[in-house]
Amino acid sequence: MSESTRERVFKKLTHAVDLGDEELAAEGANEALAEEVPPYDAIIHGLAEGMKLVGDKYERKEYFLPDMLLSADAMYAGLNILTPHIPKDASRSKGKIILGVVEGDVHDIGKNIVKVMLTASGYEVIDLGRDVPTPEFIEKAKSEGAQVIAMSTLMTPTLMSMQDVEQSLDKEGMKGKVRTIIGGGSVSEEWRERIGSDAYGKDATEAVSKIKTLIDTIIATAESMKEEDGSS
Amino acid sequence: MNAFDRLTAILKGNRRDIDRLPAMSSVGTYTLDSMEALDAHWPDAHRNPEKMARLAAGLSMLAGLDNITVPFDLTLEAEAFGAPVDFFEGQVKWPTVKEFIADDASDLRIPGDLLSAGRIPTVLKALGILREEYGGEIPVIAYVNAPFTSIGSYLVEPSEFLKWIKRAPEKITQLCNEMYPRYAEVANAFVEAGADIITFREEGASLDSISPRHFDDLIKPYLKKMVALTRAPRIIHICGQCVSGDLELITGMMECGAEAITIGETTSMRAAKEIADRVKSGYPIGGNVSAYNVIHNGPVERIRDHVRVAIEEGADMVALGCDFWLETPTAHVKAFVEAVKEFGKSPYGR
Repeated sequence: MSESTRERVFKKLTHAVDLGDEELAAEGANEALAEEVPPYDAIIHGLAEGMKLVGDKYERKEYFLPDMLLSADAMYAGLNILTPHIPKDASRSKGKIILGVVEGDVHDIGKNIVKVMLTASGYEVIDLGRDVPTPEFIEKAKSEGAQVIAMSTLMTPTLMSMQDVEQSLDKEGMKGKVRTIIGGGSVSEEWRERIGSDAYGKDATEAVSKIKTLIDTIIATAESMKEEDGSS
Repeated sequence: MNAFDRLTAILKGNRRDIDRLPAMSSVGTYTLDSMEALDAHWPDAHRNPEKMARLAAGLSMLAGLDNITVPFDLTLEAEAFGAPVDFFEGQVKWPTVKEFIADDASDLRIPGDLLSAGRIPTVLKALGILREEYGGEIPVIAYVNAPFTSIGSYLVEPSEFLKWIKRAPEKITQLCNEMYPRYAEVANAFVEAGADIITFREEGASLDSISPRHFDDLIKPYLKKMVALTRAPRIIHICGQCVSGDLELITGMMECGAEAITIGETTSMRAAKEIADRVKSGYPIGGNVSAYNVIHNGPVERIRDHVRVAIEEGADMVALGCDFWLETPTAHVKAFVEAVKEFGKSPYGR
């Protein structure tokens, strides 16, 4: 496989996501497999690059929600073909995230976009869907050993459900062990501060970068603790 | 001058005739405090007309708010068209649909007698009570969740609906074409029962979600037709971004033909007024004080500042950007009303 083949396949995948063209994304993914482009590279440099481009265009109001949704579909069309071909070690998850729209709210468009971008960035996402009861976030985080709980809501009345999750984590003594991030139409940095969540992502792109920071911090802390253990 | 005459004058374009600007909400007027004070809690107040009327008027009674609004939720029409709704018994939560029932227009079972479907009779009775009690003194607003948002958020799976904008706009056109007369029917029933003003809520149509071109193609035509059919003064409300850089929806909203529009805090009042004045000088715009960040959070001094700024930037009605936040202290609503009385004196309060 030549460098130009790689580039051509990456470009095709990026373009397919940008256009929100599922068929083109599938075609690009199959081409990647046929040309023996490593599937993980095709995801990161092709599909994820496309999603980043789309995120930027959304930010600049060149694209709107319908464009984002179609791009997410194209992204999945490519992912579904490429993911099964990733060798085990390369697909090692970078971290586990519990994701959901909080209780009382059924608006899950933003949440789904975050899911696509997290998956594309190599994280394992446990998606609880929408209108998720508070205890379910806590139980899943426990049983899955997740590092992060990510919650979203579009509407203001359901902001309170986010506070419920934070308080339950506190009660369970899980605060600080499991990090939280919140986002969605009615959510703000101010609200994050008020309920004591660990991070706020104003859009999908920021959510992904902040989750990365949260998980990196957890890993760094764990490693430094290991080192201390070793020296004592 | 009473609150009814004041708001009526503004909606007739006679802002010069008023003594001061109104302190109002073109959408929800309820809080936990008023549920408590008037013994009209959710979910009962969604289904019991006496409680609905009491709660709707609560903030006028307790804090001097210049209007009364029914109903209290966004699923009323969807429920009447067959969507199952969860009221969260024993809790105070916004009702929400349990499932999305429609893939296209043929899935909707429009009841023969729409006005006895779901909770529409409750709202009609509540409006009768409110007219009896406050008619001609405090304006009674009834809001109707407009078709694009109501169908696209509560009847059809929202992601699918939004994708149709690009992939199958004809499906949206067909749904809206078939449904808008029914939404207008609800609006007119509200008017006959006692509503002085109809607010069409089209929250799903802001620049946060859709482009101005799609607003013009898929939303404006139906809003325009509904406005034309509705036999009372009308307000169009969009709480999301209506102005962003070079993009704006203000002109399009005005072209729908309502007497006024109301906007939220994510739209600059100054920018909105500038655009409006170019299209039709003096066209009334209400807004854009944040329900959560300002009115709920306070403190009183900050509420006063935000009211003053909204008035300085040209607000013709000092209104909340969205429904009152449930936990808002009544003292903050009072502070809001007092600040409008202080800074909103005629002429123009500027």
